[in-house]
Formats: sequence, C-alpha cells, structure tokens
Amino acid sequence: MIPRYQKVLFFVLLLVSVAMAVLLVRLREKAHERLLKGEDLAPTTAPVVAPAESAMLLVANDLDGTLLQEQESLPLPQDPEARGRALLSKLLEIYGAPDSTHPIPLVARAVQQVFLLPVPEAAEKTRSGEAPRGGQLAVVNLSGSFADGHPAGIETETLTVLSICGTLHANLPQISEVRFLVDGKPRATLAGHADLTRTYLTTEAVSEPQASTAGATP
Amino acid sequence: MAAVPGFGQAVSPSSAAGPTPSVSQPAPDTVRPVPSRVVEGGRRFVVVLDAAHGGDDGGAQLADSTAEKTLTLALSVRLRSLLGARGFQVTTTREGNVSVDANTRAQIANHANAAACLSLHASETGSGVHIFVSSLGPTEPTRFLAWKTAQSAFVTRSLKLASTVNSALEHTTVAGGTSTSGADTGPIPATLARTSLLGVDSMACPAIAVEMAPIRDANRKVVTEVTDPDYQTQLVESLAAAVLEWRTDVEAEYRPASSGAGKTP
Repeated sequence: MIPRYQKVLFFVLLLVSVAMAVLLVRLREKAHERLLKGEDLAPTTAPVVAPAESAMLLVANDLDGTLLQEQESLPLPQDPEARGRALLSKLLEIYGAPDSTHPIPLVARAVQQVFLLPVPEAAEKTRSGEAPRGGQLAVVNLSGSFADGHPAGIETETLTVLSICGTLHANLPQISEVRFLVDGKPRATLAGHADLTRTYLTTEAVSEPQASTAGATP
Repeated sequence: MAAVPGFGQAVSPSSAAGPTPSVSQPAPDTVRPVPSRVVEGGRRFVVVLDAAHGGDDGGAQLADSTAEKTLTLALSVRLRSLLGARGFQVTTTREGNVSVDANTRAQIANHANAAACLSLHASETGSGVHIFVSSLGPTEPTRFLAWKTAQSAFVTRSLKLASTVNSALEHTTVAGGTSTSGADTGPIPATLARTSLLGVDSMACPAIAVEMAPIRDANRKVVTEVTDPDYQTQLVESLAAAVLEWRTDVEAEYRPASSGAGKTP
C-alpha cells in the first residue's frame, strides 16, 4: 500500500517535470527566434570592396567576326586569379545582355575558377611554331551549364574562346597560354566545334596576321 | 601541373593521342603527306566532302527546326553531284544520318589522298559564309606527321584554297548580299578566319571548314535564312566553281614538275 503523501509527491514532481519541459521548449523557440532576428539586425563586418579599376575587355562581334576593345570600369581584386575570374565574369555578363553583339545565355557562375600556373618549360615549341616565351598558363574552369547553353557554330565558339584569351592577356600580360576545363574536366569542344583539348596562345587573340576578320583585333 | 588532366597534349603534339589503331590502317599517331602523284597532271584529283555532325550529334539548331547535321548532309549531296558532273572523284565522310567521329573523318580524308577537303557546317550566328583554316602554324612537310597537327604541313595550301573559295563567293548574287549599289542583292558576305577544329587539324591535305550562316543586314536582322533554297544553291555552285579553279591552279603549279620528280605539296 502506497502512502498518500507519496502519491501526492509523485504527481507534484510529474507536474513540475512537464512544466519544465514546456518551459524548455518555449525558451528554445525564443532563443531561435532571437538568433534569427539578430542575424538580420546585427551589424555585419563591412565587406572589403575593391576599388573600381579600368579594364580592357575584348568583346566579340558575330556580325563581322571581330574582337573589339572595350574599356570597362569594375572592381577588381588584387589576387590575379580572382582578378581573372572577375574580368571573365564581366565579359560573359556583357554577352548575356539583350543587345549583345555576341549573344550567349547568361549563366550564374559561368566562370567557376581561374588558376594561374607557370608555363611548363618542357614545351619546346608552341602550336604556332614560335619559341616559348615563358609567362603563365591560365586554366579557365567553365561551368557545364554555360558550355551546354552556348550557341553552336565555329565562328561564335571561336570568338568566345579568343575573347576570353585576349581579355586575360590584355589585363594580365603575364598570361601567355590558356587551357579550358568544363566542370573541372577536359571537354572535347565548347559546343560541338571549337577545340577545347588544346592549349591556346593568347597571341592568337591579339594578332591573327593571316586572318582577315575573326580573331583579329581591329 | 599533373593535377590538371590533359596538360601538355596540344603544346607537345607528338605526345597527343590519336585514334585506335587498326590492322588495315596506318599507325594512327602519324600520317603520311600526300604524294605528288595525286595532283600531278590532274590524273586523280580527289575532293573530300565532310558533312559535319550526324547521328546523335545534331550540331546547331537552325531556322525552321532544321538540325545542322541535316543541312550539311544536303549540301554535301548537292555538291557531290555538281563535282561529279565536272569529272571530280568525290569522297564523302558520311552519306546518311550516321555518327562519324573527328578522327574517322580525318582518316577518310587522309586515305583518299585528297587534293582538297571541304568540311561543311551551318550556324545561326554571324552573317554570311565563314571560311576557316586551321590555326596551326605552318611547318615543312615530313615523311611522318603528328596526328593532331598533321594539317600544319598543309596550312599554307589551305589558306590558298580558302582564298579561292572566297573569290568564288564574290561572284555570287543572293538576296541580302553585300551589294555596293544599294540593291537588295549582291555577293554572299564571306569572312576568312583561323580556328582549331578537331578533325580538320588532323587532315593531311588542303582543308577548310565552310560555315553557312544567315545573311543579316546592318541591324542584325536576318535577311536570308540558311534554309533558303536559293542561298544554298548559290553557295554550292560557288564551292563547285572554287574547286574547279583550285584544280586549275594546282595543275598549273605542278605541271612543270610533272616530267621530273614532282613536288611535294
């Protein structure tokens, strides 16, 4: 036989336990709300905004197959790799504009990374037969959605590749060669035509002595 | 360096991988230059027509939902008929809607000992006809050539072939052409450029890529679509005339040597 005072004590303790559980849940919810509210209202660290600089972009024109030099003012980070990515992002943003001379569907993070590496000394002879000049090799990692959405055609793909090479070289003159990856992997062509398996020389975009139009800067 | 796959392939052509070897075909990583007998006296003047894409690879999407592979095949068939009627021996890389990879296309051209190879493409971007030559730097022909850069020994001749095609296009008349008299017809606008194309870079013969695009006015508005029958006819006839002119040039170039040891193209 359980004494009466023990029964009363049991129910009192049970009631207190339930009350404490409810209180804990409520306090947790309040803390969560306070946290979310704090994220919105708390002052954040001021972002480091790079100063706007003048940059030279080589913008493709499909109508006559040329690369036109355009001066743009945009914030550029000091790190060369981040700088290269910012330049190419701006270039592809121009191509995504409605009145673009070289229309390419705008894709978020079309240029995923730009890596800069020293040009391998083992390269005895370049594709165009010139002697190696040293410099840096830029590895441009494009997103698969950008490559998949790129218009198909020899001219448009070639212009895209050359404008990327030319823009990198115009602003980072130490870049002498460019290779392309798509989603971090080698890909045969950009959209069925332009060869992405080879290393492009930036001089190909800057001067095409035997080409009358495409790939030549005016 | 080693962290990024594929490095060094294009910079060092000799290390580039070629197609899979087969018993009946020569070593894939090397090709032999075209012997002089191919063009000597015009006895055997082979033209290779390469209709781009095919099979699962539809290429670009053109006007009226036409796939690039369909248009290039149609152009190839029409051009083959025209050249055949003019006495040319024509080899095509495909005769139907089949998939042919870039190495196989180059193998067909190289085995044919072609005197000219035209790779036919079509696009919805740009204006007029784009004529492309490999961006490989010119090199001296040697007995064996690296597969991925075989075209380098023929780039100079490919540039001449491109110039011949460009000249032939100047004699066309099509709606929306670049007439200087203000009329709505004139020559098909053409541009010459260099590019890097898988397949063409491995061809050991004078080779160009011809890309047909809509003809646009100064406001980028399409005046003549690539599916326009008259435009296609003008282009095919211009290419046939250019190949005829090319044969005349080649025969004239090699005639003095025909009695001797001949020249290597």
